[in-house]
Amino acid sequence: MILNKKHLSTFFLIFCFFYVFSQDQEKMKTDSTNSEYLQEVIITATRTVRQLSSLPLPAQIISKKELETTNIIRLNDILNEQTGLVTTLDFGGGQGIQLQGLDSQYTLILLDGAPLIGRSAGTLDLSRVTVGNIKQIEIVKGASSSLYGSEALAGVINIITEKTKQINGASINFRTGTFNTNDISTNINYKIEKLRISAFLNRFNSDGYDLNENENLNTVEPFINSTLSAKLFYDFSKITSLLISTRYYTQNQDFVASESLKGKSYIDEWNTHIQLKHKYHEKWNSYFEFYATRYMADEFLNDSEGYRFSDNFFNQLMIRPEIRLTYNWEDKKVFTAGTGFNHETLQRTNFSENPVFNSTFAYLQYDTNPIDNLNIIIGARFDNHNEYKSQLSPKVALRIKLNNKLALKGSVGYGFKAPDFRQLYFDFTNATVGYTVLGYNAVNTAIPILEEQGQIANILVPISEFQGDLKSESSIGTNLGADYNLNSKIKFNINFFRNSIVNLIDTRVIANKTNGQNVFSYFNVNEVYTQGLEFDSSWDCCNQFKIKFGYQLLYAKDKETEKAFENGEVFARENPLSPSFQLEKNDYFGLYNRSRHMANIKIFYTIPKYNINANIRAIYRSKYGLIDSNANGYLDNYDTFVDGYSIIDIAFNKTFYDNYELGLGVDNVFDFTDTQNISNISGKIIYAKLNIQF
Amino acid sequence: MNFINKNNLIKLFTLSIILICFLSCKKDESEPTLQETEYDTFFNLHASQQGGQGTGQEISGTFTKFDFSTAQTTTSITEWDIAFRATTIIVNGGVSLETIDEPERTGNAGAYIANGTFNSIMEVNTSLIEQDSNTGYAIATGSGNGWYLYNSQEFIITPIAGKILVFRTRDGKYAKMEILSYYENAPENPDSATDTSRYYTFNYSYQPNEGMTTF
Repeated sequence: MILNKKHLSTFFLIFCFFYVFSQDQEKMKTDSTNSEYLQEVIITATRTVRQLSSLPLPAQIISKKELETTNIIRLNDILNEQTGLVTTLDFGGGQGIQLQGLDSQYTLILLDGAPLIGRSAGTLDLSRVTVGNIKQIEIVKGASSSLYGSEALAGVINIITEKTKQINGASINFRTGTFNTNDISTNINYKIEKLRISAFLNRFNSDGYDLNENENLNTVEPFINSTLSAKLFYDFSKITSLLISTRYYTQNQDFVASESLKGKSYIDEWNTHIQLKHKYHEKWNSYFEFYATRYMADEFLNDSEGYRFSDNFFNQLMIRPEIRLTYNWEDKKVFTAGTGFNHETLQRTNFSENPVFNSTFAYLQYDTNPIDNLNIIIGARFDNHNEYKSQLSPKVALRIKLNNKLALKGSVGYGFKAPDFRQLYFDFTNATVGYTVLGYNAVNTAIPILEEQGQIANILVPISEFQGDLKSESSIGTNLGADYNLNSKIKFNINFFRNSIVNLIDTRVIANKTNGQNVFSYFNVNEVYTQGLEFDSSWDCCNQFKIKFGYQLLYAKDKETEKAFENGEVFARENPLSPSFQLEKNDYFGLYNRSRHMANIKIFYTIPKYNINANIRAIYRSKYGLIDSNANGYLDNYDTFVDGYSIIDIAFNKTFYDNYELGLGVDNVFDFTDTQNISNISGKIIYAKLNIQF
Repeated sequence: MNFINKNNLIKLFTLSIILICFLSCKKDESEPTLQETEYDTFFNLHASQQGGQGTGQEISGTFTKFDFSTAQTTTSITEWDIAFRATTIIVNGGVSLETIDEPERTGNAGAYIANGTFNSIMEVNTSLIEQDSNTGYAIATGSGNGWYLYNSQEFIITPIAGKILVFRTRDGKYAKMEILSYYENAPENPDSATDTSRYYTFNYSYQPNEGMTTF
């Protein structure tokens, strides 16, 4: 336990200090924060502008203000502070987000409504997204394939960037901190009559860090990356407008595999999004969108003599035209309909072919208030894919406002994730150890070749089993919750969730090789569920002082494993020389990398008189398992767990002469690290920030 | 108040004599006496191997043979029940997979893997017994298929708890075995860099009586 007594008391002292201080200021309170809260709107949940507070779905918004006051610079860091979200690492070091206990590959990540790509091992690395030009981040929890199709199985995170502005202006933001980590951003807005242009440039570099001093490798190697984005908005008339946005991202990082094997890794990514909006009639709106994006990652290693040891590439392209119509039938009765086409290609090292995915899709949604206090959303989406079975994803959600204080909400939706390219076309043999991993579609051709070469000792799963299609992973997500506003200052929100997933794709041994290693391939095997509750509360104590508390309880389990424990088929051993004993049903801990409890508390404090704002944020994550340390095939209570921990961040900002803001802060105040298990927590970071508005 | 009078005492005495005689007579009849089941722990059975595991060479090397009746390793060509080479365990029964240096089978040994604690496996289910064949061994090889799991991050072989290897010996007797460690001196937390692998430590029980399938 990192949150020991000493830390707790420090935290408590700071809390008291803020509290006492705030009492003095209470006289000058106004009601502006509250009205701001009511006006928070979200577009991700329905693809129309909706008030967050009246939505029947579990959703949350991270505001620009929160991004500015916390001084956070990368997307993964701000998401990690939200209730129920936690950053998890994949093998390649990509930082994804676990949502409602589901892996990062099941959450769709959108940038202004269009998907980001480049999931080389399933995870989309969120640390590549700068928050410098973000207006707000919208998080919709629960299966959302009824609007977004594949990947929106756990939920959707939509990054909304700043709109082009009506006024000319510019800003510069600079932050420098520990590990020689520097982040510089600049925003420029320009307007000539009906044309509005904005440009954003971000450069982020770091020397990286090393948690294991004795090794030759760094935990994170030095890197430098840049983001350039530009928007062009043209108002043809009151009813027609055009928005063109582009983004380019490039990263260059040292790539070190051992003392003698060194190289570089590069990422190049671009997105282009063209949106034409036209209003035919007061009730009819149409949106024509064209989206294209490419993600390229290359890495190489040279040996000590300078000869090329390995070369890897990953090159994914996505093109998506889409048309969307909304019809405002009556007040608060909105039809949304859309259709589109999705084209994806991938070239990658160790692939059996260069696959092409084509799919067409159409969706329909009806958002209605049949009576004053009842809101119903029903919707469905149909995806027709050239490689998999088509999917129909329905969803229904409703919210009943019982009185001014209490509203109940519930939703049931279907979510799916089509198998990715890797699960179908991978054809990879590890050069040093000698095992082989084959995509489902690669088995038919690769196994006979291995057999011919005399590499197969025996086949455990005949290749005839690979004639059909690998099925999409799918889920039924249920959310039941309540919003309770004790008064305009104190709000509670509780949500019970259950995601029941079938056809989860996992790897299994399909053949033994003559070198003693195995051939693996992908199968639809598991049925798992994640269930629990999310609790959020906020208290606007006064205008200057706001406290937020969030908590998630989670049970994430594999149904087959649960049965194995129930049937007494699982055993464990305390140490190598003690005999094994039978495990009970409640000895099954659950899926790997899931914590039973996660909590966060944030205190935001502003003193308008002195133009000062400050905040202290703490997150807690209870113990979780990463490995089956006692090697019985399951994660049970006798395994070695990663200890629970908490991290506390402090930030302080002051504005001078209206346009200058100086910030200081410490992330991870108590310098928590777990060098064995958590490589993405670097330890204490001290930084300074300067923001200038022109 | 005198229940136990003289008469009763004599009756009781006579009855006791008869009873003792009867019981001891019965004991004398059940010949020959059963040999006791042997239970022991064997430490550090060295099971070396050449080639394989990324060396680019085919696996070879002499199997280390084990004889349950003597509870010793042996180099005998016929008098062995099971044999070890790295993580592979073969039985002296069935046919050879014909890997390099693999011994011919001369006996009628067989095996299966039971799930349970060592003590809970009290009887052999003879219908499950298989012999080595030209498609695979009775004790399946590979991580998670047989008796061990391989941790590819830490390069550690760990015996799976609750996997009890049940053997029929070359001459039709039965034994059960629980592998405890694959590392020399069975360290608590083996480290692939410092601990030497291919040293088996195991618990075993051997039923030396012909035809008895219980332990």
